Amino acid sequence: MEGIRKNKFHESQTFRRRFMKTIIMLILLVGSVVILSPVWWLVSTSLKSMQEIMQFPPSFMPESFRWQNYVEAWNTAPFTRWTLNTLFVTTCVVIGNVLVNSFVAYGFAKVKFPYRNLLFTIVLSTMLIPGFVVMIPQYMLFAELGWVNTYLPLIVPAFFGSAFFIFLLRQFFMTIPNELIDAAKIDGANHFVIWWKIVLPLTKPAIATVAIFSFNGAWNDFLGPLLYLNDESLYTLQIGLQTFKGTVSTQWHYLMAASVMVLLPVILLFFIFQRYFIEGANITGGGTKG
Amino acid sequence: MNQAEKMLKKAETTHDFPIKAKREKKKEEKGINPNISTKKTGLFSSFSLKNRENIQGYIFVLPWIIGFVVFTMGPMLFSLYASFTNYNITSHMDFIGLDNYSRMFNTDPLFWTSLWNTLYFVIWTVPMTTAGAVLLALLLNQGVPGMRIFRTIYYLPAVLSGVAVYFLWMQLLSPSTGLINTALAWFGIDGPAWLFDPEWTKPALIIMKMWGVGGGMLLYLASLQGVPKALYESATLDGANAYHRFRHITLPLITPVIFFDIVTSLIGGFQIFQEAYVMTESGSGGPMNSLLFYNLHMWNNAFEIFDMGYASAMAWILFFIVMVLTVINLRLGKKWVHYEGGDD
Amino acid sequence: MLKGKKSFALFMSLFLIISVVLTGCSESESENASSDQTKDGRVVVDFWTFWGSETRRPIIEKIVKDFNESQDEIFVKHTYLPWGDIWTKNLASIAAGNPADVIINDINTVSHRAKNEQAMNLTKYIEKEDNFKDSFYPELWNAVTYKDEAYAVPFNTDTRLLFYNKDAFKEAGLDPDKPPKTWKELEEYAKKLDKKNGDRYERIGFYPVWGSFGPGSWAINGDQGRNWIEDKEVLVNTEGKVEALSWVRSWRERLGDNTINEFKSQFGNKQANPFISGKVAMYADVATFYTQLRDYGKDVNFGVAPIPAKDEESKHWSMGGGFVAEVPKGADHPEEAFEFIKYLTGVEAQTYWATKNFDNVANIEASKKAAESEELSEEGKYVYQKAVDNLEVTKLTPVPVYAPDYLSMINPQIDAIMLGQTDAKKALDKAQKDVENIVEKNTK
Repeated sequence: MEGIRKNKFHESQTFRRRFMKTIIMLILLVGSVVILSPVWWLVSTSLKSMQEIMQFPPSFMPESFRWQNYVEAWNTAPFTRWTLNTLFVTTCVVIGNVLVNSFVAYGFAKVKFPYRNLLFTIVLSTMLIPGFVVMIPQYMLFAELGWVNTYLPLIVPAFFGSAFFIFLLRQFFMTIPNELIDAAKIDGANHFVIWWKIVLPLTKPAIATVAIFSFNGAWNDFLGPLLYLNDESLYTLQIGLQTFKGTVSTQWHYLMAASVMVLLPVILLFFIFQRYFIEGANITGGGTKG
Repeated sequence: MNQAEKMLKKAETTHDFPIKAKREKKKEEKGINPNISTKKTGLFSSFSLKNRENIQGYIFVLPWIIGFVVFTMGPMLFSLYASFTNYNITSHMDFIGLDNYSRMFNTDPLFWTSLWNTLYFVIWTVPMTTAGAVLLALLLNQGVPGMRIFRTIYYLPAVLSGVAVYFLWMQLLSPSTGLINTALAWFGIDGPAWLFDPEWTKPALIIMKMWGVGGGMLLYLASLQGVPKALYESATLDGANAYHRFRHITLPLITPVIFFDIVTSLIGGFQIFQEAYVMTESGSGGPMNSLLFYNLHMWNNAFEIFDMGYASAMAWILFFIVMVLTVINLRLGKKWVHYEGGDD
Repeated sequence: MLKGKKSFALFMSLFLIISVVLTGCSESESENASSDQTKDGRVVVDFWTFWGSETRRPIIEKIVKDFNESQDEIFVKHTYLPWGDIWTKNLASIAAGNPADVIINDINTVSHRAKNEQAMNLTKYIEKEDNFKDSFYPELWNAVTYKDEAYAVPFNTDTRLLFYNKDAFKEAGLDPDKPPKTWKELEEYAKKLDKKNGDRYERIGFYPVWGSFGPGSWAINGDQGRNWIEDKEVLVNTEGKVEALSWVRSWRERLGDNTINEFKSQFGNKQANPFISGKVAMYADVATFYTQLRDYGKDVNFGVAPIPAKDEESKHWSMGGGFVAEVPKGADHPEEAFEFIKYLTGVEAQTYWATKNFDNVANIEASKKAAESEELSEEGKYVYQKAVDNLEVTKLTPVPVYAPDYLSMINPQIDAIMLGQTDAKKALDKAQKDVENIVEKNTK
């Protein structure tokens, strides 16, 4: 008796679960259409000719797919060089952000020391001042250091922590039970070991989030490269995209085509990093079964 | 099984800890109070436990302290001083006392316009984006087929940036042929003129902001991975429905991230700039200044009129406003944010 | 999973190494160019422009190349910086003391920058030349002076013309060689050119503010070409401007908000163009709009005319802008910089720029040469000549140093008028008072 009832309970459970999943699937599909419709305009414009773009009303589908827009846009300027430059800066920034911010955040989350809360308040307060007003003095500072026209002003600060990521990782680290840290301490591990061997592996999704966010930020950064780089050979992609915007008319087909190309690596990276958003959950589920 | 042990278990199954076996044993022997620990090893063994902890703490935050002192503190103090001067970036910086501040409150009507516009934007977007992101993350954490693709699609708006995107939105928001009003027409609603009607410009920007909610979604997705599945399973067996499971298991565990999201999107909301700058033809503030946000007004003062002194004063007033709101947030946060490993 | 992680790390570090190596190479290459002198001892003049597009860049770079080849003491290094942001960077670099030697900047704000000491006084170099200022249109030269001293040299300019669709004229029974001359004629023509299908407009004859002649431009056109502020006198709520704005508003009433919004939203994003797609029969825009017609509107049979005047007695006032070459304050090589500016604004370079870009230039002789140049097609010459003639009645709107933000007081009021929220008189009275206040405050 007991066994059968349990079975029935399970059956209705799986049915309900399937039903729910179908509903969720439908919601997600509809949402995807909404999300993707602006993206569609981006892609379809990138495949049109300039003549077609000027027409009214705008066509939903390009008359003919002008794939050569992509090649032509790429060849209007040294985009290959600019891509490598951007990759270099972005990679350095991501490494710096992931390592340093998680290190600092661990200090704020799991180590007790005097003035910790005061310092943390100062961390938060650096986010509150609008960037423009510190932009000029910061530029003067980097000029004084002789860093103008190098990548240093874009990269070096990433190795000294950013308030946003410190705060983010601190929040994640604080969800780790203290018992875990204490137990490791009893084993003789100091905080550095705990940070590296316990906390980092446990918060992989959070670290991946920081990596994705900072990749995005550095990849899309425009004002930084604009201010600090003087040689066109050092430019990054975001400056390159601006070349299609003319004073009289904008070459929309090229701008959109180049935008799509600039976007692809970011999407690819997100796709790769997604493993960290699935495995954690699965393993916990499997691990506690027994 | 309490939470901590579950976390431990999770850690163990994910990785091989060198200390695993030993720890299990020691925990039984000595409990978990670190103060009882007698075995001192490593770099800091000659210090007392408390000093050791303090020094390690400072070492952890040292990179940030250096960065702050070298790169951030100087420029911040510079702008604070500039706010009491007639600084024009290129030629003069004479002390004028509180003139900039009094001008802001007494003779600059656009200051109030911009503050109001910004507040309106913040009040709507912060709760909406937070709730939207949580909801989206929950939906995207259900193991539906094609999950990776769905996640990528929903995250897409967060990576799309720059001028191209804003022009795309002008298309979508177009009153007659735009997708949004076309969709509204299916339900018999005559959509507004959005970016051309001062009443609807801000809602239009809020819709745009909602489109990009995938960035926040990622945060919650990350934090949902820390919620052990077993908790759900046992709760389900105990007869808890989906709402209860969310309310009593998921929600408490993601409060730290909700808190983070609220605090940072509040700060970010007050600093909205790019959207308005691009969508209002050369940053003029949109129809009847309805999109003249605080930072846009500040930008115009700093880089169009070259009154950086005034812009700095505006920046510090904004600093003060957001600081007060953040402190209130931090205070309130103590009541509802649940830290599994918090220290008080 | 470990495998994935490793391959990812490998992937990242590979990129890092490749880009380090490549970046390193390029840095050593460009080292010479960024320093003060080239290898053969020529002084390097840093030249910043926003001309990075496929069409403009080759033209400016050819001019630079010609200059570099013409002598052996100066080497000009051209750097592209994005439109708008170029000036943010200029400010930062002036503040830090490492600006470019020559930069292209907006003509209407020269005196504002001069007052804030961002641009160098060029008088002492100009005085060495014979009749230097006479080479340029007086309206332009006037805009580059502050307290009777020149702080920049005009480079190019623009002017607004009325483009009209000849085929539509024929269709509506109008003479395609007789474009409207006055506001009244403009209205009559527009009504005839409207084409309706039910209550939807298939073609609108004319709507004043599409193109690049906004309500503010019409206000000046209708007020005998008088600016909002002339010599510290605030002329915002003059009868002419009130009338003009009421007139512009009346067009909106005639066509209806829905029609206007529907059309504007399509063209507001600057992608589709209503004139090229035949949705509008008359259209006021800058003369260089011709290049878009030439390149993307091959079927459009068009004519150009001056902007219609308020009545028979008034002139065809049009609006213009333009760019100047200036030397930022603190530049390392002002003398060499001026040497280059002289070339840039000289007849040869200006004629080249004018014909290749189809752009109005500041140099009078070059303008005349360009209008007759073999480089242009017959049609091109026709439009160019019209544009050059139009410069006679083209007004600039230099920003007054004592009220740099006056437009932020006027624009919201114009918006309110256009939205029909208040009448023109009331709105402009308010703006008048606001602008008077800042002028008074800043001239105390």
